[in-house]
Amino acid sequence: MASITNSTDHGHGHGHDSALHHQFENISQQNESYIVGMWVFLSTEVMFFGALFFIYTLYRWNYQLDFYIAHEHLDVTKGAINTTVLLFSSFTMVMAVQSAQLKRRMHVISYLLVTMACAFVFLGIKYFEYSSKIADHLYPGAGFATDGRAAFGEHAMEAGKLAVNMNHAQLFYGLYFGMTGLHAVHIIAGILVIGALIRLWVNECKTVTLDYVATEMVGLYWHFVDLVWIFLFPLFYLMPKPH
Amino acid sequence: MASNTSHSHEHHIVSTGTYFLTLIALVVLMILTVAIAGVNLPGIGPFSGTVVNQTIALVIAIVKAMLVITIFMGVKWSTTLTKIWVISGFACLTLLFGIMGDYVTRHYEYQPGWEKQTEGALPRGTPNEPEIPPANANNLNVKIRH
Repeated sequence: MASITNSTDHGHGHGHDSALHHQFENISQQNESYIVGMWVFLSTEVMFFGALFFIYTLYRWNYQLDFYIAHEHLDVTKGAINTTVLLFSSFTMVMAVQSAQLKRRMHVISYLLVTMACAFVFLGIKYFEYSSKIADHLYPGAGFATDGRAAFGEHAMEAGKLAVNMNHAQLFYGLYFGMTGLHAVHIIAGILVIGALIRLWVNECKTVTLDYVATEMVGLYWHFVDLVWIFLFPLFYLMPKPH
Repeated sequence: MASNTSHSHEHHIVSTGTYFLTLIALVVLMILTVAIAGVNLPGIGPFSGTVVNQTIALVIAIVKAMLVITIFMGVKWSTTLTKIWVISGFACLTLLFGIMGDYVTRHYEYQPGWEKQTEGALPRGTPNEPEIPPANANNLNVKIRH
């Protein structure tokens, strides 16, 4: 019976100025469908990253000391700055969604631009981090550093003997580049999607201006990218000393 | 479709204050996790300090993730169907980590790699020439525990 009431409420004669598509009964149902669809996608992303987190857990479990020594080459300060930048960008993203709900077009564009700028800052810091690893031959492959003392300094030594297994250190850096690299790919994809969204808002495209849900979906994706980093940061940068 | 009609057509608009407080909480938790990671905490009961440190870091990460999911992603104000999908993804993740139960209860055996093993590349406590185990009768890479 509800459908009858709704069709009289909205009518199906709505023109091009309505965000409601004809297969939905009302805007709430339509938005719920969009958001559920986005969460289905995000569930697959959780499992996609989840497998990598599982590999990390397994090898960290097996090679605790090697992973600890290898992780000391990472820069906690840069990691912490990057975490803050991403958390802040999540805030500006959610403000863009709120502005979209309130139909404040210029606010949406400004917040999205700040979010995008944060994404570029994140990638910039990541570039410096990757460069320092590559300079020390700490990337997986045939060129991986073989001398633990040269790569990790005195951290790698214990009572005058080498305490780190360089194969396991290579595994750590394989996971580091694999997981943060995949995350960086998501950041780049985010920049492209946010860029496309900004373009739609600037052009006052009805896809985004009539209803907030388009902005909300980009927001959900961006928060997910932030979510992954929330776990990557303590697992890679803040490893406790095995004792 | 009754659940949809009961909803107001005006969606919930969360105040800027709520979002800002969430951001502050997230940044404070981030600083807290960095600060705690710098201290080697003592062990509690059967758990070593390493486990205590790591558990605290992960609990803080989970709290941060919950803040992002509930407030920023708006799951707190979302419909039941959305919540079911949110939970399903993480439920599958939990199932996946159940596989760790197999690894931690099984004897882990070193397998020599295809590359030439240099002395520094050997795991601690193994002889210079890694002993290549004879092919198992059951053709599995698992040595039966005695």
